[in-house]
Parts: sequence; structure tokens; C-alpha cells
Amino acid sequence: MPWLLLLKNLLSHPIRALLTLGSLIIAVFLICFLRTVLVGLEAGVAGAANNRLMVQSAVSLFVDLPISYQTKIDAVEGVEQTCKLQWFGGIYQEPSNFFAQFAVDHDRFFQAYPEVQLIEGKEEDFLAKRTACVIGTELARKFGWRVGSKVPLIGTIFPKTDGTPWELEVVGIYQPSSSNVDPQTLWFRFDYLDESLEAGAATGPPGVGVFATRIAPGAQAETVARRIDELFANGPQRVQTTSEAEFQRQFVSMLGSVPTFLTTIGGGVLFAILLAVLNTMLLAARERTKDLGVLKALGFRDGVAAGLLLSESLLLCTLGGAIGVAVTMGSAGFIADQVKMIVPNYAITAETAGLGMVLALGVGLLAGLVPAWQASRIEVVDALRAEV
Amino acid sequence: MIGLPPLGYNLRSLWVRKASTLLTVVGIGATVAVLAGILALQQGFASLYEQGGRDDVLLFLRPGATSEGESGLRLETVDILKKSVPEIARDEQGRPLASGEIYLAVRRQKLDGGETNVPIRGVEPESFAIAGPALEIVEGRNFEPGTDEVIVGRALTSRIRNCSLGSTIVFNTTPFKVVGVFDYDGPFRSEVWGPHARMSEALERPGFSRLIARVKPGVDVKALSERMKNDKRTPTKVLDEQTYLRSQTQALSVTLWVLGAFLAAIMGTAAVFTGTNTMLAAIAARSHEIGVLLAIGFRPFPVFLSFMCEALALGLLGGVVGCLLVLPLHGIDTGTTNFQTFTEVAFAFRVTPPVLGVSVAFASALGLLGGVFPAWSAAMKDPVDALRRR
Repeated sequence: MPWLLLLKNLLSHPIRALLTLGSLIIAVFLICFLRTVLVGLEAGVAGAANNRLMVQSAVSLFVDLPISYQTKIDAVEGVEQTCKLQWFGGIYQEPSNFFAQFAVDHDRFFQAYPEVQLIEGKEEDFLAKRTACVIGTELARKFGWRVGSKVPLIGTIFPKTDGTPWELEVVGIYQPSSSNVDPQTLWFRFDYLDESLEAGAATGPPGVGVFATRIAPGAQAETVARRIDELFANGPQRVQTTSEAEFQRQFVSMLGSVPTFLTTIGGGVLFAILLAVLNTMLLAARERTKDLGVLKALGFRDGVAAGLLLSESLLLCTLGGAIGVAVTMGSAGFIADQVKMIVPNYAITAETAGLGMVLALGVGLLAGLVPAWQASRIEVVDALRAEV
Repeated sequence: MIGLPPLGYNLRSLWVRKASTLLTVVGIGATVAVLAGILALQQGFASLYEQGGRDDVLLFLRPGATSEGESGLRLETVDILKKSVPEIARDEQGRPLASGEIYLAVRRQKLDGGETNVPIRGVEPESFAIAGPALEIVEGRNFEPGTDEVIVGRALTSRIRNCSLGSTIVFNTTPFKVVGVFDYDGPFRSEVWGPHARMSEALERPGFSRLIARVKPGVDVKALSERMKNDKRTPTKVLDEQTYLRSQTQALSVTLWVLGAFLAAIMGTAAVFTGTNTMLAAIAARSHEIGVLLAIGFRPFPVFLSFMCEALALGLLGGVVGCLLVLPLHGIDTGTTNFQTFTEVAFAFRVTPPVLGVSVAFASALGLLGGVFPAWSAAMKDPVDALRRR
């Protein structure tokens, strides 16, 4: 194989090579981006703990369970401990500053969620101060909060009767050790919320959204879940007990057709880029008809002429794929920042990078085969006579 | 002075290089199709809310509530409001055109698997009077007040389990029978409606989520809203339905726009690269012809324009292909969750004339951008040099 010729061919039209390379880089980047978004949307499911069950109302995401359910669930065989979780839905200054806030059992929370690891502050302070809260690293970064900061939250589901915001004090900053916990969450004390409601300082539904339930080692998750469901089968509120993965999946499932759209768009990108590279290779082959005729006349076999074109296409696409993957990796930090409200876990996995490379190579192979096949069939005489 | 080289020359050139033209056109087409598809989604979603919002219909919510899901009003409050707000319009019998509604998004299984939150609404008879003929029963009949019967929005029947005529929906422990299917050009299309009293009991949620009322013509909503906010007995948040719906859907609408713009910009860049390649090759192969054009007296600028026309034709063809690719999507029902309200919204792709217009304009821009550099390099050729090339 005349390798030098291959290289010279590739560089014979530098602008065209660069433009094709540019399209390839863009396509590989886009496909990796779309896939990473898809994977990121499922990250909560992938990172879920398998010894945690989530007990919620079987009727609706928006219906609370009575607080009295806690002791009943605690007593179920195979249950080690439960922890209340109540969605607060408060607003910090502007609705656009949206982040999740949960009221939790302060004395059970850190056992229930070992993934929440404080990197600043002390667990004892959460136990000691009624208005305490712990926040994720991302919230600390975004709003500049530190241990000791006061966080005013306007209640929407639980407005204060005097119209003032709730004031919480940051006592700890955590870094989650697994992707099922979002570093953009604020956790505060359920007793503070509940006592405020009882004292009439605030209004809102008294109850619990979810009981995060840890099962005893060796207990069968499905069996325990069924026991809990059966306990409340006749009301007053039926419950639905699922694994944490199932619980997270319900939110992914709510996306409906969105994953399909993203996949379709990725397919469209791939198709468009295949056409673009094929176009380039056909143009290249057409221009080189005469060169190929000379090669063949010199005694190079048909395979060499074909191999030249195929290799050129593959080389171009390998290069494009590699740069595309590099761009994807390089931009990941920046993009993660932009999309984290929608996709909290934007991280390029090895499979995604691999997929980008494989698709680029596949495009190179397909786009090279057509002109290569043409080149191997052309007659020397016709080739030499070609005008272009 | 000779004008533009004949357009036919450019069009025939495209035809001569069929394969290359076709690949470029389909490439641009695919790019345009992605943009058009997302725009069609956005249009479908937006139309659902724009047309559904009535500005003479007001909502009364609990102060501080940002959505009806969060809101809650007591039975007495609703009663007082109906009787005491003079702005509320009245029907022929003199009754206030106001209706207390209870609203809850309940877990439902989708037909194609997975779970979603379907809004259910317990209404008083006045809700139908307020909706007027826009709400139409298309199958079966309306529910009888006081019975365990419901009617379902048309968008749900093909997407959610147990939502077709004759099936039974269980809320908590109470079964309700589906006796009718209704249509409405707005978000109600993806809701289940039943009698307020029975639903409130089945869901164990006493009271109302909101009061909805038609107001007399010419009512100053701002003044009313200000007055009700500070009302001593029944403080409420008052806003018109249009404003409310817009506030509920802004995030999803903006997300679709941003996604469309982002993808269009990036894929568009790739399409411009491809277009440039095609035009460069087209011009390289016609060096001799360009030499002839310049030699017989065509000025560089008209030659430039002539090749820009060729590039524009490529873009336009791509635009047409893109539009043809998305046209079959028109009317297809799809759905996602509005994460501002955490509820299912079903809507259809709408390939409207503006969508087609934007797509074709975008495709033309791609063609022109891809043509600038090649056309300029063609016009700048030295005629002698160009003629010498074969």
C-alpha cells in the first residue's frame, strides 16, 4: 500500500478535509451529548441503594401519608428503620432559583442516607438546632452559602401565617457518595415543620410524602414491600412500596416520549453526517479517477486502489471521532454546569466515548466502501481518459 | 455590461452532479427536519395553552400558591366568594357563574408502560357553563352529579390505561365508571372530570383547590386581584386563566426553544460545512467554464451572485426535503410531564405554516452560508488561469 500517497491524497484538498473533519467532530460531539443526557436522566435509577424501600401514597405523588404510619411500618417484620421525607417546595428569592428541599427526621436521617457525607459542619449541630439544615455542595457553590449562613425560604405549600419566609441555618455541607442523591438538595428538620404547623405559625397539609425505609440485612425486599402494602390495603390511604430504583424510575418514566425524541435526533445527526462524509469521499474518488488509472496502469492491483480510498475515509473518520470525543470530554464540565437543573448527572461514560468512536469508524467504513467499490471496478483505459 | 449569467446554467449544473447534489440536499434536509420537528412540538405545546386560556375567566387560589396543585380553599371560603364578589357574572337564573373545583394529579399506568401523573378534577356543574360549547362530549354522555361516574379527556384515551369509555378507574379505594369522553382545545384535554362531592370524598380531600369564575365584561382584574389579596375575611390570589396557564408552562416552552436553537445551531454548522464542500467541488470541476464566463465579459460580482443562487437552490431543496420529512409527524399525539406541575401533558406535533417558513428560511441560510466562500473564490479566479485548467 502506498502510504505516502494516502497521506498526500488526504491533504490534497486541505479545506475540504478540514470541513469534513469539522462536520464529523460536531456529529460525534452531538451524539455523545445526547447519549450523556439520556444516561444522566437515568442516573438516579442506576445509583439507587438496594436495601432501601420507598413507601408513598398509592393514589398520587401529591397525597401525603399520615404521620402515624411510621410506627406501623417500623413494626413490620424485616424493616430496620424508617425516615420521613416531606417535599417542602419553598422558593429562595426567585422561583427560577428552584432546588429541592425535604423535611426529614433529624435523628434518623444520617443513618437512613449514608450517601450524604458531610464535608463541612457536624451532624451533632443538625440534632441540636431546630432550624438547622444541611445543603449539597452544588447549592453551596451556586448561592455562596457556608456553614452558619441563613437561608430564607418562602413557603408555597407551607406558607407562614404571618407571611414571612422560613429561616433555616446551614449547619453542614454534604457531598453525595452516589448518583441517587443530588448535590443540589436542602434537608431540614421535620419536627420544625410539624411543630410550626401545629402551633399555627404555618399552614399546609400535615403528613409525610415518603417513608424511606431501610430493610434489615438478609430480608427480602419484595416480601417486606408486600407486607407494608398489605398493611394499608384497606385504607385510609393505600401505599405503594417500591425499591429506590423503581421510585426514581417513576420520574424518568414521566418524561414520556422525551428519550425517544433524543434518540431520534441522534439518529438524524448520524444519518446527516454519513451523507456528508460519503459526499466528500465520492468527490475525492471522482477527482482521483485519473490517478487511480495511473496506479492500475503501473501494475498496482485493484485492491490497492480501493484500499486507498477506504483507508482515506477511515483515517478521516478516526481523526474526526477522536477529536469529537476529546471535545465532548473537554466541554463536559462546562455543559454539566449549564444543564444541571434538568440533568443533574451530566458525566461522559466510557461507553458513550466508545460509542462515539465506533459510530465515527462505522461512518468511515460505509462512506469509504462505495467509492472503493467503484474504484476497484473501473477500467484502466476509462480511468485514464477521465476528464476531471 | 452583461448582467447575471443565466440561472438555468446553475440549475443544470446541479442536475449534472446528481449524486453530490442529492447527498447535500438530504444532509441539509435532515438538519432542517430536526429543527422543524422540535418547533412542531413547541407549537403543539404552546397552542394547547394559548388557546385554552380565557382572559374573562378568573382563578381564585390560596394566597402564596403558585399552582392549583398547591392551592386549597375551604368550603366556606368558596361559598363566601361566590356570593360576595360582585364582579362574578351570573347566568339567566341569576346564579353566579362560579365553580369550586378540586384538583389532584393521580398515579396512572401508561398504556405503553411506566407511570405518570394524570390530573383529575372534581367539578361543580357551573364548570361546564363556564367552559361553554368549547367543551364537547364526543363519546358517551356527561356524568350524573352525585354518582361515581367520570368523563375523560380525549388525549388520555389512547395513552393511559383504563381511560376508555366503559372502563373503571379506581381512586384510592373507590371505583369510578368512565361514561364519556370529552374534547377541549386546551389543557383539559388531558384531564379526568367527575362530580366534586364524590371525588372529594373518594380522595379524602375536603374543600376545594380553586374557584373558577367567569367575570362580567370590563372588569379590572388587577384591581380585583389587589383587593382580594388584602381581603380580611377571604384573602385569595386572583389571576386570569391565560396568565395562570402561561406561568405553568413557561419552563417547558423555554426548554423546547433552547433545545431547538442549540441543536439547530450545531447541526447547522455541520450542514454549512457540507454545503461548502459541495459547492467547492462543483466550482473546482467547472474551472474551465468559469474562465469562459469571465472571459466573455461577466463581471466578478454577477458571477459571485450566480453561484450564490446555485447555493441557495441547494439550500431551498434541502428545506423542502426537511419539511417533507416532518410533515407526516403532524397531528401525532405525544406526551411528557410538565415538571413545573409534575403532571402529564399530552399534545400533538403541529407542523404549522410558521414552522415550515422558519425551516425553509433556515435551510436557505445554510445554503447561502455554505456558498459564500466557494462563490467568492470562483468570482476571484483569473480568467486566463481558469481557462487553462481542464
